[in-house]
Amino acid sequence: MKFQRLPPTLRERKRYLVFEVRSEWRGEREEEKREVLREIWNSVYSLHGEVGASESNIWLINYAAGVGILRCAHNRVEEVRAALACVHSLNDAAKVGIRVLGVSGTIKGAKRLAHLSISM
Amino acid sequence: MLDFFDLSLHLRPRPETETEASAEELIKTARRFGYAGVAVTNHNDYAEIGAGAGESSNFAYKGIEIRADSVAVLKRKIKIHYGRVAVLAVHGGDEKINEAALQDYRVDILAHPCGEFGRGKGKGRGKGKGGGLNHVLVRYAAENGVALDFNMNAIIQSRGRGERARVLRKMRENLKLVRKYDALPVLTSHAETVYDLRAPREMVALAGLFGMTREEAVRALSEVPRGILEKRWKRWKKGREVEVL
Repeated sequence: MKFQRLPPTLRERKRYLVFEVRSEWRGEREEEKREVLREIWNSVYSLHGEVGASESNIWLINYAAGVGILRCAHNRVEEVRAALACVHSLNDAAKVGIRVLGVSGTIKGAKRLAHLSISM
Repeated sequence: MLDFFDLSLHLRPRPETETEASAEELIKTARRFGYAGVAVTNHNDYAEIGAGAGESSNFAYKGIEIRADSVAVLKRKIKIHYGRVAVLAVHGGDEKINEAALQDYRVDILAHPCGEFGRGKGKGRGKGKGGGLNHVLVRYAAENGVALDFNMNAIIQSRGRGERARVLRKMRENLKLVRKYDALPVLTSHAETVYDLRAPREMVALAGLFGMTREEAVRALSEVPRGILEKRWKRWKKGREVEVL
């Protein structure tokens, strides 16, 4: 049987959050990415629980140089925004604050937002 | 575009960094996050720090958060600082202090009425009833135009078992009372460093966690603090006229 793509009507609706991380972290880039993702997950779990986390459909699309793109379900943007705001430290040591720069419906749009904010 | 205000920045002396520099950075970051104004409300022990950064612009306002152990001390300190600062806040938590602050029309904000992390000191301590606000106190607050502070930093920083749940629970209760008596809620960050600061949209999302609607949260972040700076919630004239007559 030929592989068929999932028709657009059956796809999950998503939003892409562009976020900016300010932190005291002075270390490796790769490690920073891992820590940021871990803290985001911890925050989502503690705030909304496993069920909430599964409903928000979170996935880190991209993270570099303090700016990242996070995917979530289209009707869970405010919940995820609150979870991002609750992230306050990396690895219990470096203080950190996350700000959402913008929300987009496509990765392309999210990347444009991210580029705009980096070049600023 | 709405104007958002954060009336609760704390600039503490920090040994490793120069305080003036970090104060300036904090204020600059707040501007970049989209705030239209901030107030620096240090505890009265460190009142002088960052004062220079506040006075020069019409972005940062000078304020104070009075911390007192007894009602007599509180009254004396209010008398000293009243009229000299744009925002006069009281460090709440203790039931007696809360009561005295809310009955005083000179106070602008009662900060964290349930203690900094929702552990209020009061008669019912240990029974899950401790401290904070009740229907009588919130009524005083509404009458005297004292805004009640919802400290978002308590939600952000709380950790450990059920701590955040307790903080949110208290805020839910307070919100119910605020709605009932039409008191003034205000969202604050109590930020000490740039990492504690959150952008207005994030503050609104955090307020949604304890049941505040979007409209209420936006009002608590824009209209109410603006009114505090302009002293719009105070009924001066009424009081004065009565005195003259």
